[in-house]
This record gives sequence, structure tokens and C-alpha cells, in this order.
Amino acid sequence: MKRTFLLFFPLLFCACDSVFDVHPYDAHVGGARGLNASGMEAITAACAGKDTLRFAFFADTHAWYSDARDIITDINQRADSLDFAIHGGDLTDTGTTLEYRRAREQLLRLRLPWVALIGNHDFLGTGDQVFDAMFGAKDFAFLAGNVKFVCLNTNATEYDYLAAVPNFDFMEVEMQGGGELFERTVIVMHARPGSDQFNNNVDKAFGRYILDFPNLLFCLSAHDHHLQADDLYGNGLMFYGTDCALHRAYLLFTVTPTGYTYEVVRI
Amino acid sequence: MKLFAYKVALWALFALSCIPISVHGAQPDSLFQEKEAPSVSRYERRVARGRHIWSALIPRQGIVQTAGNMGLVSVGVGWNYGHRDKWETDLLLGFIPKYDSSRPKTTLTLKENFLPWRLAVGDRGWNVEPLACGLYVNTVFGHEFWQKQPSRYPKGYYKMLSTRFRANIFFGQRVTYEIPARHRSFVRSLTAFYEVSTCDLYLRLMFQGGSVHLSDVLGLSLGLKLQFF
Repeated sequence: MKRTFLLFFPLLFCACDSVFDVHPYDAHVGGARGLNASGMEAITAACAGKDTLRFAFFADTHAWYSDARDIITDINQRADSLDFAIHGGDLTDTGTTLEYRRAREQLLRLRLPWVALIGNHDFLGTGDQVFDAMFGAKDFAFLAGNVKFVCLNTNATEYDYLAAVPNFDFMEVEMQGGGELFERTVIVMHARPGSDQFNNNVDKAFGRYILDFPNLLFCLSAHDHHLQADDLYGNGLMFYGTDCALHRAYLLFTVTPTGYTYEVVRI
Repeated sequence: MKLFAYKVALWALFALSCIPISVHGAQPDSLFQEKEAPSVSRYERRVARGRHIWSALIPRQGIVQTAGNMGLVSVGVGWNYGHRDKWETDLLLGFIPKYDSSRPKTTLTLKENFLPWRLAVGDRGWNVEPLACGLYVNTVFGHEFWQKQPSRYPKGYYKMLSTRFRANIFFGQRVTYEIPARHRSFVRSLTAFYEVSTCDLYLRLMFQGGSVHLSDVLGLSLGLKLQFF
């Protein structure tokens, strides 16, 4: 009988991360939830009364974990001079719950407050439902100093264009709500107008609509996996796109009372 | 693609139902020849032969298994066959609880097992299979999963990806207790097993990210198998 036990010995070596895998799309979030709510609160608290804001904008980390880890380490090294960080979406590559857990693990290493948007890859399978539980609503907005950051879900292709994406009603509310508290606006999205994810039927309408936000400074996007700085509508409103983790680059913005500057960080 | 699957299934069914007619007489079955009296008609022989062949489809095993990327728990039936029953095919229905999604889900798994060795332990009916390995494909039911990317996406948008079908690979070990013939009432033997498995999506992560190790993507599955006959 002793021999039998020896044969089963390999069982002891199966020290697996989560021992039982129910299904890649089981949506078993576990651990921390509603991370954007606490992130937004922390950002607003940290930036209260500040007239100059500095934040990092990175995105498209997908499953390039070692590159993403290096970006996060780089941001952490600058944490003292930064107020917050924004992940512009595509936290995962195939939207599996395991990838979401890993993305969360990495984001929680950030030593400053942060929020994350949903990217098109994060919708795959049950991914969008995991995002809801782990991070929160797909459209959200927060105050940092006197600037309102409006984060929009623009992944219309994932809904086959059947959903209110981009959500104009949400924008309407954010335009008017708490108007006395903010003087300027920054819009953040995963896929910018004109991209394969945007509902390009409303491309121009979107371009006009967002001008109603008080003093819209600039727009931020990701998705295209290369750096972008374009005046998309020819009206002086700049759209800045950040690179993907594989290319090991991200953007640092400084918003001052009179304007803003940005720099590309390559690691 | 769906239509193709149905067609294949229909043809397979048709081919199976033809077997009794086409092989009749070519391979006389000793079992049936013994029984056969000269008075048995051609028709009766054909029916007996047909019954015999279709009886191979009666599942010989019942399985209940946890995890393994096919649900929290899966139940199903299996067939063992081949030289010393070294091969097994399982058909399993899995259940995924709701967790943080909108509803619970079911999955269907077709699993092929290979058991190269069986070692007797003692003489009281215990035996051990030091290696069980194989492949299985799993499909999960629900509108949010697709076999290949829907037409709304540009060509090659989500390359080499199906959110519905998973290919899995596993290895494991088993221990079996053969119930002595005089004590048998329901099953012939009972098998407890464990399997360590992973799926294509997780292997893909390993090749993509760096810092994803095999130990991160392997999962444990425990199960029980009843050999009916």
C-alpha cells in the first residue's frame, strides 16, 4: 500500500494559483471589487484645491504582463510628482476572468490613485460583466481639482451598434451636473472617433456634442497601439492616443491653470 | 458551420443504421451463431445484429467531475474500449454558477482519455493507473460566446479566437476498486481520479506575456467514475 501513496505523490506538487479552474469565462471575480469608485474618490480627495494636475495615461496592456509591470514600476517611481493614473482600456487580451484578476493584481501595485476604462478586448465572453463587478460602470466621471474627467465607453462594435455607445445621455448629465465645481473638461475613451470600434455614424455628431462641455481641454484615447496627436475635427481640439504596453511607452500630462503640456515616456 | 455539423451527424446516424445490413454474414458473430436455430429468419438475425451493434452505444461508465475549465461540476457518461480498455470517451454536461455574471451557464464536453498502464495493488481488487492523459473540447452555451468572430468585426479582428470552444489538455492519475462479483449490486468498479489541466486560452497567455508560468494556468480537477459493466 505504501507504493500506492508514492504514486499519488505528484498531486502534492500541483501548487496552482487558483487550484480549481471552473471556466475561463466563469466571471468569478473574488477579491477587490468596485475599484473605480474608490479610485475616483481618492483622486478627487488628492487633487482637491490643486491648480496643477499631473497624471499618467497608459493603456492596452493586454497580456503583455512584463511590459505592463515595467510601465507600472516606472509610474510608481514618479509617484511623488504625479496625482493619479488612468488606464485607457484593454486590460485583458481575451476577457477571461483570470486575465482580469492578473490585470487587477498589477493595477493594485500602483502607488497612486487610478481608474481604468473598458477596452474592446475586455468585452470578450463575460468580460464586460467582470468589468462591471471589478471596476464599476463603463461610463464614469470624476473631478480632479477644477477639471472634470469624463471617461466614456466608445466600444460600439462590441454591441453591434445596438447600444447607446457613446452614451449621449450620460454626457448630457455630466455636462450639467455639478457645473459650479468644475471649469474645465478632459474626455477619455478607449477607441477614438473614426476607429473600427467607434460608432462612426455619430462621429461628427459626437465631435460637435462634446464641444458643449465647459472648456474642453483635450481628449485621450488608446486602442490603436501607437502614439497619436491629431486635431480630428479640424477645430483645434486635440486627440492624444497612447501606445500599447508592448511598445513600452505611455503619456504624462501636466494640466496647469493656463493650459497643459504632455510628454511621452519611453521605458 | 452549424448546418455542416448537423449534416455530419445525420450521415453518421444513417451510416450506423446501415451497418447491420452491410456486414451481415461477412463477420459471423459466435455469440449469435450459438443462439441461432435454423428456424431463425433472416429478418430476426438482422434485428439481433442491429441490436448488438447499437448496444455498443450504451454508456458503460458514469462520471462526476469538478472544475477542469468545464464548470464547477460536470456529470456525464463514458465509454471505454480498445486493447485492455485503454481508451475512453466521455460526454459531460457542466454547470457554471452565476458568480458575477448575469446568469448561470451550462457547458458540454467531449473528452478522450488514454490510460496506458494499469497496475494491480494487492489482491483485493485495487488497482492504480499511474497515468491518465488526454484532450477535451468544451463548448459553453450563451449568446455572449461565439464560435468565430461575428460579421460585425473586420476580417481577422480577433485572430485565432473562439470564445465558445475551448481545447483542453490534461494529465492525471487514478485509483480503482473492483467490487467482488458477489457484492456487486449496481456497479462493477469505482474509480477516484484527479487531473491537472489547462486550456488553449491560458497557453496563449504563456506565449504572449512572459511572467505567466505553467503553474499559473494549471488547474486541478477531482472526479469519480462508476463502471456500470
